[in-house]
Amino acid sequence: MDAFYASVEQLDNPELRGKPVAVGGNSQRGVVAAASYEARKFGVKSAMPSAKAAKQCPNLIFVQPRFPRYKELSHQIRDVFYEYTDLVEPLSLDEAYLDVTENKIGLNSATLIAKEIKTKIKERTGLIASAGISYNKFLAKTASDMDKPDGLCVILPEEAEAFVAKLPVQRFHGIGKVTAEKMVKAGMFTGKDLRKKSLEDLTLRYGKSGQYYYNICRAIDHRVVQPTRDTKSVSAERTFEDNIYELDDVIEEIDRIARISFERYKRSKAEDGHTITIKIKYGDFQQITRSKTDDPSINDEGTYVQIAKSLFTEQLLNEKGIRLIGVGISNFRKDEEPEPVTQLTLEF
Amino acid sequence: MKFIVSSSYLLKQLSAINGVITTNPVVPILENFLFEINDGNLTVTASDLQTSMITELQVEAKEDGSIAIPAKILLETLRNLPEQPVTFSIDSNTYSIEINSDNGRYKLAGENATDFPKIPTVSDGYAVNMSSEVLSRAINNTIFATSNDELRPAMTGVFVKLDETNTTFVATDSHRLIRYRRVDVAADMAHSMIIPRKALTLLKATLPQELTNVNVEFNASNAFFNFNQVKMICRLIDERFPDYDNVIPLDNNNNVVVKKGELLSSLKRIAIYANKTTHQVRLKITGSELMISAEDLDFSNEANERLTCEHDGEDLEIGFNAKFLVEMLGNIDSDEITIKLSAPNKAGIITPNDKDEEEDILMLVMPVMLNNQV
Repeated sequence: MDAFYASVEQLDNPELRGKPVAVGGNSQRGVVAAASYEARKFGVKSAMPSAKAAKQCPNLIFVQPRFPRYKELSHQIRDVFYEYTDLVEPLSLDEAYLDVTENKIGLNSATLIAKEIKTKIKERTGLIASAGISYNKFLAKTASDMDKPDGLCVILPEEAEAFVAKLPVQRFHGIGKVTAEKMVKAGMFTGKDLRKKSLEDLTLRYGKSGQYYYNICRAIDHRVVQPTRDTKSVSAERTFEDNIYELDDVIEEIDRIARISFERYKRSKAEDGHTITIKIKYGDFQQITRSKTDDPSINDEGTYVQIAKSLFTEQLLNEKGIRLIGVGISNFRKDEEPEPVTQLTLEF
Repeated sequence: MKFIVSSSYLLKQLSAINGVITTNPVVPILENFLFEINDGNLTVTASDLQTSMITELQVEAKEDGSIAIPAKILLETLRNLPEQPVTFSIDSNTYSIEINSDNGRYKLAGENATDFPKIPTVSDGYAVNMSSEVLSRAINNTIFATSNDELRPAMTGVFVKLDETNTTFVATDSHRLIRYRRVDVAADMAHSMIIPRKALTLLKATLPQELTNVNVEFNASNAFFNFNQVKMICRLIDERFPDYDNVIPLDNNNNVVVKKGELLSSLKRIAIYANKTTHQVRLKITGSELMISAEDLDFSNEANERLTCEHDGEDLEIGFNAKFLVEMLGNIDSDEITIKLSAPNKAGIITPNDKDEEEDILMLVMPVMLNNQV
């Protein structure tokens, strides 16, 4: 979906149409969650601090996000997808991979299906979507970003290699901003430059991601569309209006955020988490995490909150103060079964 | 406050008690040694709140006083100084310390001695004496079997039970249990306590090689060990020790007598081929033959060895954790040992065949169930 949250706001409130809109808080520490295309002309982007956005675009209208409404529309959109295939892998509220190799309406062209889906979304929700069509996830995702808004971009198998060769590293899905910068510094500007590097070289430079980069610059991506992606972690975080400095305040906040995060954990499909992590972002944006892995799995609120609180110690406080705290759970697995070969225990 | 002391003498005494100090202690002042001078007598204290060690030495001093000195800097300085008298001058207002040697001058910041936690002193104590050799044998024989499980604190220490005729030391991690008994140490009343592992580890490292008398005093909450010029005070584990007597079987009638050295080296070789998580080895006793084997199905590793033994009882096959057996046998001095078994799912008992008259060692180990028996 194009500028999803902002488009929804413009859809529901005609007064916002044609105007620069930012969804997000406009307090000192708010960030832009989504910007309308009108706002983007002024350089307003998502994840930008609201204060900076307001400076760049003085007429910018801030709207508080309404997640229940976005979710509602997201479900309507997903229902459209399911009319064509069950192989839908949602990436977020407004993005999903669809495998239409075999589809419910027996249409042989993915491009035609994409067109139909776009039309249906427009009819049913009034929102505009962009689609990318290709023969693997990486290419489809890259294509979907090509001509937003209202885009429909196809990368055919015979064009793929040439397409990727010309693609600047910044545009590769899966190469982040920092990695892209590193690559540019090392003289790798496009897929073509990336292709010149050996697998060993890329692995040496970028660790495990090296293999992925090696593949995608050759337009190779064997990942399948996974309709039910397992949740890997559930978390909640809060940025504070003012930095906090006192141990008692930190513990109180961890308690509060842990409870919110636990709520989410219970509502999610995930269960049997073993690792609790707290994230602390200091006044100077330095970030640390502390985690603890426990056996058996953590499934009750008391334990959850208590472990989260125990992870923060006075030593972690400093004069810069804390601007953000996050609490999350991960490592979802069944408790280990006892070994078939068992060490016997004395019965005291 | 000012005093003069030999650098190597001070280093020797500090090294004896330094082990107590932890990196990153709960209370930062515990990174310091507490120096107290009284009539030319220097008392140095190190502590981690649970365990404290104190040493005394004679120094040249005109006045009394006290100061907390950062342990790490002081020790490193002393280690790197050639033997010589060094002078400590302490400013009692700023707690700054100046050390003067032939080589030069070193300044460091100390802390107020009154901030150093108070070390408990013995009161309503009960005393018993034993030789350093007895104590270190008792520690060596038991400490390795203590548990790391913080959820069962009682088992993280060694249980010491004084009786009118003997003294018993017991350690267990619930998979194995060691009972070490001395008849040459006794008390006129029954007493028992659990001494934490850390204190015993420190004691083991500090006890002198030469035969020395160790005076052990204790009350309900602390134990005090006194020898040479060193004193150790530790908080006892305030828990109930498991009822160990009940789990020691008395009817293990399947006896295997085997050369300890042969069995130990065989187990060390076989263990290499055992599963890396269970460390399981099989002992198969048929007549007077003891077959030791292990396999790791994940890697297609396997090994077999044969030993001769004296065997009295039915043929039997039983599995054990090789690491446990190796550790236990490594702590037995005897040339020959007896393994007493009853069934593949019941505890095995190892005892030495030749031992001092004053001591009695019993090592119990629980089996690892073999696959074909589950």
